[in-house]
Amino acid sequence: MSTERTAPAGTGDWAVELEDATKRFGGFTAVDRMSLQIERGEFFSLLGPSGCGKTTTLRLIAGFEQPTEGAIRLDGEDVAKVPPYRRHVNTVFQSYALFEHLDLVENVAFGLRRRKVAKGEIKQRVAQALELVALDHRATARPAELSGGQRQRVALARALVNRPSVLLLDEPLGALDLKLRKQMQVELKRIQREVGITFVYVTHDQEEALAMSDRIAVMSDGVIEQLGAPEDVYEHPVKAFVAGFIGISNLLPGTVEQGAVRLSTGALVPAPVPDGVPEGAEVQLSVRPEKLLVEELEHGMATVEGTVAERVYMGTATQLIIELAPGARLVALEQNTARARADDRWELGDRVRVGWHPEHGQVLR
Amino acid sequence: MTGRGFDRPRFLVVVTALVYVFLFAPIVVVVLFSFNGARSLQVLDGLSLRWYEEFWQDESLRESLIASIEIAAITTVVATALGTGLALGTMRSRTRTARATGLFLLIPLVTPEIVAGVSAFVLFAQLGVALSLTTVILAHITFSISYVTIVVRGRLASLGPELEEAALDLGATPWQAVRLVTLPALWPAVLAAAMIVFALSFDDFVLSFFTTGETPQPLPVRIYSALRFGISPTINAVGTLMLLVSLGFIALAALLPRLLGRRESGVAVLTGSRTA
Repeated sequence: MSTERTAPAGTGDWAVELEDATKRFGGFTAVDRMSLQIERGEFFSLLGPSGCGKTTTLRLIAGFEQPTEGAIRLDGEDVAKVPPYRRHVNTVFQSYALFEHLDLVENVAFGLRRRKVAKGEIKQRVAQALELVALDHRATARPAELSGGQRQRVALARALVNRPSVLLLDEPLGALDLKLRKQMQVELKRIQREVGITFVYVTHDQEEALAMSDRIAVMSDGVIEQLGAPEDVYEHPVKAFVAGFIGISNLLPGTVEQGAVRLSTGALVPAPVPDGVPEGAEVQLSVRPEKLLVEELEHGMATVEGTVAERVYMGTATQLIIELAPGARLVALEQNTARARADDRWELGDRVRVGWHPEHGQVLR
Repeated sequence: MTGRGFDRPRFLVVVTALVYVFLFAPIVVVVLFSFNGARSLQVLDGLSLRWYEEFWQDESLRESLIASIEIAAITTVVATALGTGLALGTMRSRTRTARATGLFLLIPLVTPEIVAGVSAFVLFAQLGVALSLTTVILAHITFSISYVTIVVRGRLASLGPELEEAALDLGATPWQAVRLVTLPALWPAVLAAAMIVFALSFDDFVLSFFTTGETPQPLPVRIYSALRFGISPTINAVGTLMLLVSLGFIALAALLPRLLGRRESGVAVLTGSRTA
C-alpha cells in the first residue's frame, strides 16, 4: 500500500475545488461564497473556532450537505448532485461512528463489500489496512473493547482501505488526551505520506494544524480569512483575527506615521507598512511573544518601555506580561535555557525595555 | 467511614423493602393460592395442582389463554414493525410534516383507554365489521404503535445521524445503511418495545372488552365474565399462568441478544442498565 497512488487519474487539475460554494441553513449562512483549490496529495487543514463553517465545508465535500449555491468539484467533476455513497471520498468522523455490532475486520471491510470487491482482495486489503494502523493483532475484537486511540485508528483504517481520492477528517483527534494526540499527529502525517492520499483536515487546534499541514485555511464566520503554508499564516498573519487565533499575538493599536507606526502609548516604532496603507490609517501592530527580546536589544530594533506586571513559569519557557501603559500590555516569551532561567531574571515591577526586529512586526488593518 | 456512609442511609433500605413488599405481595399470594389444596381463598391447606387441572379441563378458559397469546404475538410483530418504520421516518425526515407526526404520536398515549375502546367499538359498528379476534388485534395494533415509536425514537436520537452517514460515506445506499447499520444498532430498543407491546396487549382488558366477539374471548375479558358467577380458585391458576407467559416473553427478549452475540439486551434498554 505504501507506494501506490490510489486516486484515479482525474481529469481536473485539483483533487478538490470549491467555487463560490455557499451553504445556508434557514437564515444562517454557514459557508459564504467560499472558493479554494486543494492539490492532489496535499495535507490541507481547515482551521477555525467552532461555528466558523469548517465542518460544514467538509460535509459539503463529503456530500452530506448540498451547497445552496456554487460548485464543488472532485477531480474536476461537479458533484453537487452526487450522493455521498457515489463520491470517491471517505470520512473519519469526530465520533468515529464505528459499527459496534461488527468486529474490526467487518468494520474495515464495510466499504469494500458495498463496492463488491472480490473476497480475496477484501481480505488482503483489510489485513493491510489494519497493519497500517497497527491493529492487526486485534482483528476480531469489537470496537467496544478498544481504547479511544485504537478506535480512532479503526476509523482511519475503515476510511483508508477504500483508497479514496480524498480523505476527510473531522477533528479526528479531538477526543484523545494530549499525549496521545501528539503521537497521533505524527502517526497521521506518516500515514498520509505513505499512502499519498489528499487529506482535508478540520480542526480548531492551531498547533495541530501547524504541525501537520501543507497548507492551512483559517476560517471565521463562513469565509477564509487567510490561506497559506503554516509558516505564512503564523509569521505573516494578514488579519487581526488570524494573528489572534493562531498562537498568542500582541496586538498594539496605533496609526501609520511616516512609514512607521505611532503606537497609542506614544512610541514611534519602525514597522513594515504594506503598500496601500495610507498615512494616518488606524492599524494594529502584531508581534509574536517569542520575537520579543527583553533588555537584549540590538541595533535597528523597535523598542518600547514598560513594567513587568506578571511572570508565569511554564517549564520550558517563562511568560512575561509587560505593561506599557495602563491597558496596553505585551506578552513576551523567554526560553528557559541551560544558561538562563527567565523567572529569575526579572522581578515584578522591574522597568524593562522590550525590543523586536521591525520585520517581525505585522501591520494589520 | 465503615460500610454505611453518609450516602447510604439506613432508611433507604427499609423504603426499598417496603416498596418491593407492596409490589409483589399480591402476586405472591396469587401464585401461592393457585397451588392451594382447598377451595378457600383465605386459608392455605396443602399443595395441589387441582386448580390447574380444572383450568385445563375448562375448554373456554383454555381457548381464551391461547387466543390472548395469539393476539399479543400478532400485535407485537405488526406494531413493532410499523412503529420502528415510523420512528425511522419521523426521525430522519427534516420536514415539518414529520415533526407534526411525531407530536400526534403522543395522543394515543394520553387518550384514556376507555375512550379508545369506545371509539374502536363505534368505528367497527359503523363500518359493519363483525367483532372478533381480528378486531381485537386491529385495536391493539393501533394502540401499540405509539409505544414502539417512542421507545425506538429515543434510541435513534441517542445514536445520532453519524452512524448512517458513515455507512453512506462508505458506499452504502440509504436502504443498505438502514438495514446494515441502523437496524442492528436499534435492535435492543426494538426488542424492548416488543416486550412492552406484548405485555400491554396480553393483559389488556378495556380495549379487548369493547372489540371482542363472543368466543373465544381474550383471557382478561373471559376472567371478568367468569367472576360474575362467583370467584373460583381457578382464577389464581390462570393468573399464575399469565404471569408465566409474560415472564417467559421477557426472558426471551433478554436472552435473544445474547444468543446472537450482542452485549446489550432489550431488558437493559428498559431498565437503563448496561450489561457488559
